[in-house]
Amino acid sequence: MSETLADDRAAFLAGVPLFAGIPVNELEEVARVMAAVELEPGDVLFGQGEEADGLHVLERGLVQACRRLPGESELEYARLGPGDVLGEIPLLDGGLRSGTVRALEPTTALLLARPDFTALVSRLHPTAFAIKRQILRLASSRLRITHARLGELLGGVAPAAPGGEKPRDADPEDLPEGRLPDPAYVLRLPFFRSFGQPEFTQLVESSRLAVVSAGCAILSEGTPATTCYVTLNGAVEEVIRRGDESVRVRLCGPGWACGYAGLIDGQASSLSVVTRERALLLAVPAGRFDTLFNGGTISSYAFFNAIEHDLMTALRQAQAPHARLAARASPSPRRS
Amino acid sequence: MCRVVGYLGRPLLLDSVLFATDSSLARQTYSPRMMATFLNLAGFGMAAWNDGSERPEEPFLYKVTSLPVFDRNLKCLAEKVSARCVIAHVRGVTYSEHEVLMQTNLHPFRFPGVKVTLAHNGHLREFARMRFDLVGHVHPTFVKHIEGTTDSEWIYALLLSQLDDPFGTPSADEIADGIVRTLRIVREIRQKHEIATSSPVNLFASTGTCLVATRFSFDYGWYPEGDAMLETDLPYVSLWYTLGEEYRERDGEWQMGASDHPESLLIASEPLTADTSRWLEAPEYSILTASLQNGGVDALIADLDV
Repeated sequence: MSETLADDRAAFLAGVPLFAGIPVNELEEVARVMAAVELEPGDVLFGQGEEADGLHVLERGLVQACRRLPGESELEYARLGPGDVLGEIPLLDGGLRSGTVRALEPTTALLLARPDFTALVSRLHPTAFAIKRQILRLASSRLRITHARLGELLGGVAPAAPGGEKPRDADPEDLPEGRLPDPAYVLRLPFFRSFGQPEFTQLVESSRLAVVSAGCAILSEGTPATTCYVTLNGAVEEVIRRGDESVRVRLCGPGWACGYAGLIDGQASSLSVVTRERALLLAVPAGRFDTLFNGGTISSYAFFNAIEHDLMTALRQAQAPHARLAARASPSPRRS
Repeated sequence: MCRVVGYLGRPLLLDSVLFATDSSLARQTYSPRMMATFLNLAGFGMAAWNDGSERPEEPFLYKVTSLPVFDRNLKCLAEKVSARCVIAHVRGVTYSEHEVLMQTNLHPFRFPGVKVTLAHNGHLREFARMRFDLVGHVHPTFVKHIEGTTDSEWIYALLLSQLDDPFGTPSADEIADGIVRTLRIVREIRQKHEIATSSPVNLFASTGTCLVATRFSFDYGWYPEGDAMLETDLPYVSLWYTLGEEYRERDGEWQMGASDHPESLLIASEPLTADTSRWLEAPEYSILTASLQNGGVDALIADLDV
């Protein structure tokens, strides 16, 4: 690639929200490894179920993203144009494409392939981690959009407390303090798989172990997040309610986290979080979360990787109730 | 843990669910895609209802402690026989000398004279402590039919005992109500004995004209200390379904054809194809009821809060 083209691409990337705040000279290194893909209307950029090969940034044109439904029907869930990003989740997480992307106009897409990005990450390149943080912010935003669409599919309006009062969520400091389970158990849970014993001990010492009974509201839709909760035992559910209807977006069992999306992007919670089973939760306060999420220590990387994995999983899992509602097989009121 | 498939709808060649697909039930014995570090090697069982057979309201039952992938007889039958309703099960047990591998422990269960058949994916922890208290809730007729050593057969006997007419042909809703009552009794006995560890109860029940399945667990997320099977036990036991016109191969892909008036329903512990995009995941704590109605399948998912 010529220096001029790399400069132009870097300048273009600097205007893409995903790369905001990253100096243009650092983006040149990213631009050099990106390959341009030209599409005519009707051409498929990638198909649902294909192995994900990386992230695409749309330089020009218009594409539609569709998901197959049971049977032979398809659901269009997004249209994207210049500056929009596709496949940021698989860039971090790999896996299979969750939808098919098809060009509606002549389109140019820039591909950042996974092996090239992995090479940047393995060098602990600050640009790679800056991109990762941005991807997680974008993923939080995607998650909000998915939640909003789920709310629309349910119908009705978002719940509001009578008189506009702030809902009373459980304060971790007011909850009974729990006993730390055997670390050998905890370190086998998904959230802690990149933790060593020292990193885990540090996290526990700066957090609170809370025992919460079933059915306790720990975060209400529309309220700001103050705590990241990691389930050690039991289960917590993320729920969207509209009138008498509700849908569970995700069940967070042992080793899965919730409540942190607002700590990443500063927005109010897009859903409510309630304990489904009695639970033992590790409550990580906002300040500690911020330090770990943005830090550069071994503990920070372990925590960052855990949040990254959790958020990627949350994004995938949010598609399940969406597909169910779209297929008109929504849960009816409780049986008992 | 085990793997189960339930089918209701247009007559379907058994091979379509047992062998033909890239994640068929036979394959799920030795290579389940959604269950880490665990295989289902303790036997195979099936109940299938065929309209063209003698006494079509009765299923033919097939149970064998060997693996379906090595069962040439089953493969030959599966390529010849179709059914409007099927429950098929491969049994998985912990790798221990204490487990009992015999035909009477194989699912689905069907006692003499009753119409309801049941298979179970899951296990009630510390069941031995509960068994005595369960006796009082099970009709004496069914207690004497219990031949095996599994918790699942007791759940079946308990379910039959909760039905208004256990020898009749209950509707899907009546079976669902019976399952709710059954689970409540189990919860009460667990509480009495202070049993509070994760115990999944994914049930598949059928009379041949309806199908009821649960995705449920007691005390999900709590495990005994030193649980050697933790990686298997951590995820909520899975349940998937696909609903549509007919399950068949189209352009090299096995899938359910789209339909505004569904005629076929497949429910399975995990999808029968590696490509899961044609399947939907049933929510945790849910019960799915389906009935053959007016030439189609009427299906509903409800929350199951016991």
